[in-house]
Amino acid sequence: MATTSPGTAAGVDVLVAEDSKIQARMLVKRLTDAGHAVRWAENGADALVMARDRRPDIIISDIEMPVMTGYEFCKAVKTDPALRSVPLILMSTLSDPIDIIRGLDAGADNYVTKPYEPDYLLGRMRSLLDSPLGDAAEQATLEVAVAGQKFNVQAGRQQVLNLLISTFENAVAKNQELIAANQELSIARDRLQQNNAELSQLNDEISRRNAQMVRDLEAAAKVQRSLLPADDAALAAAEIAWRYVPCQKLAGDFLNVFPLDDEHAGLFVVDVSGHGVPSSLMAVTVGRFLTPKVSEQSLLVRQGPDGRVAIATPAEVATQLNRLFQADEFSGLYFTMLYGVLHLPTGRLDYVSSGHPALLRVPAAGDVEFHGAEGFPIGFVPDVEYAQKTLQLIPGDRIYLYSDGVTEAMDKDQEPLGEQALAECIGGSRARPLEETVAALLETVEQWCQPAGPLDDVSILGLEWRPT
Amino acid sequence: MDQFRRIQTGKTGDIHMVLFKDKKILDDTVLDEIKQEINTLLGKCTGPDVLLDFGNVEFMSSAMLGLLGQLHRKIVTGHGRLKMCNIRPEIFQVFKLTNLDKLFSIHKDAPTALATFT
Repeated sequence: MATTSPGTAAGVDVLVAEDSKIQARMLVKRLTDAGHAVRWAENGADALVMARDRRPDIIISDIEMPVMTGYEFCKAVKTDPALRSVPLILMSTLSDPIDIIRGLDAGADNYVTKPYEPDYLLGRMRSLLDSPLGDAAEQATLEVAVAGQKFNVQAGRQQVLNLLISTFENAVAKNQELIAANQELSIARDRLQQNNAELSQLNDEISRRNAQMVRDLEAAAKVQRSLLPADDAALAAAEIAWRYVPCQKLAGDFLNVFPLDDEHAGLFVVDVSGHGVPSSLMAVTVGRFLTPKVSEQSLLVRQGPDGRVAIATPAEVATQLNRLFQADEFSGLYFTMLYGVLHLPTGRLDYVSSGHPALLRVPAAGDVEFHGAEGFPIGFVPDVEYAQKTLQLIPGDRIYLYSDGVTEAMDKDQEPLGEQALAECIGGSRARPLEETVAALLETVEQWCQPAGPLDDVSILGLEWRPT
Repeated sequence: MDQFRRIQTGKTGDIHMVLFKDKKILDDTVLDEIKQEINTLLGKCTGPDVLLDFGNVEFMSSAMLGLLGQLHRKIVTGHGRLKMCNIRPEIFQVFKLTNLDKLFSIHKDAPTALATFT
């Protein structure tokens, strides 16, 4: 063991009191590396025994320790005549000003805050060893008030000075750390602001594109609305009413009713499978063929050899459509359709169904009837002929065409509305004007689907035959 | 064994058995995955014999019919056979409404369906 010579910092006898084994080991290594002889105790009581056993040159003590705290240990050293001149450094977190008073009161010579810089600790040790306290250092009783509490502190002037300077130095060191941390924060804040600016730029870009998409969708929806009856749509010998509610902006459903010539009216509901953009594109494509304007494209009417308009039968229309729209071309999209041609003077309705829900007939008096026709959806089976059916209306009869968004509308328990409820709703409103019956049916569907609302497009087309 | 997410597959003789795992075949994502998985399964076969088992399916959108239509056409074109089984009444209604119960070969259960392949 190195012998000590007062006034030199190298090779002194150090006593460490520290209950944390890890922290003690680190501290002992630092001190040993600096050339000091080190003894270590796990608490104040053991440390006191060691100090009395052999007087150390300097003591470094933790505060929070079992059995005997750092304060108690410090006080015991400073009141022991044989030990009182040994400089003692308290290691504390210094979280409370009262800690300083307690340290003073206990007679500590110096504070080092945890976590400490090893060089700082060694520097403190050196300065304490360089200015040793005399055994007979003058004692004075000081009254100190901190945080509303009064303390009577017994301490020597040199000791007070040392302790206060050490706390001041500590505060300066901490302040410097804070300034450095602040600078780092300020750099981080600048970076954050920069990131925020980039983010907000990206957000602007996204909303710009989103707005473009919304505009495109609205333009597409407008094209699709051109497939619906015109606002002033009317027939000579029949009243019409309709509702069309797409479940998204773009729909697979569409419906129309229009005069084909002076005596005939065409009417249909088409339901392309799925919904959204692909179904809507298909609907618009199909719609171009279902026009009452004589043209190359129209499947409904063409110029006859005698110069008059020739009307295609519903069966011909369905067969042609099936030839044109085989499902492969549209990646699995197909459609169902109910198309009818009504002879306005006689009330004869020829119609065809391609896998579409049956049409509903509501006589002026009597029960509601469903009239279906067999036929596969358009696009399923190549080269199939569609069979046509005929329904003779009597004056005052109403017919309703609709998409499966009506009958297959699901309630919250996935129960479909069904044909029965449809018949009851339409039959029950027979006394009311046609327009109101269509509105009432739509309301029934929307009520049924509460709270989620319809998950499919809903189309309803009503017609009342009133020959003049 | 469990190489697919949406379908469970097996073979009885030369017949491909496909069991749909989903209770609900409603949204497009599920539909696309089913389509891809069946395509992967049948990829290189020309005119295979296929039995689709709907035992788990409680809800099905009409878009699924489009997929079945494509599959039907592809198989029939290659002189294979497509049959379906275990379709519960609510689902069968979807086939009936569109008349497709008359296009597809639909059977009560797997043994009955398998017997009709011979």
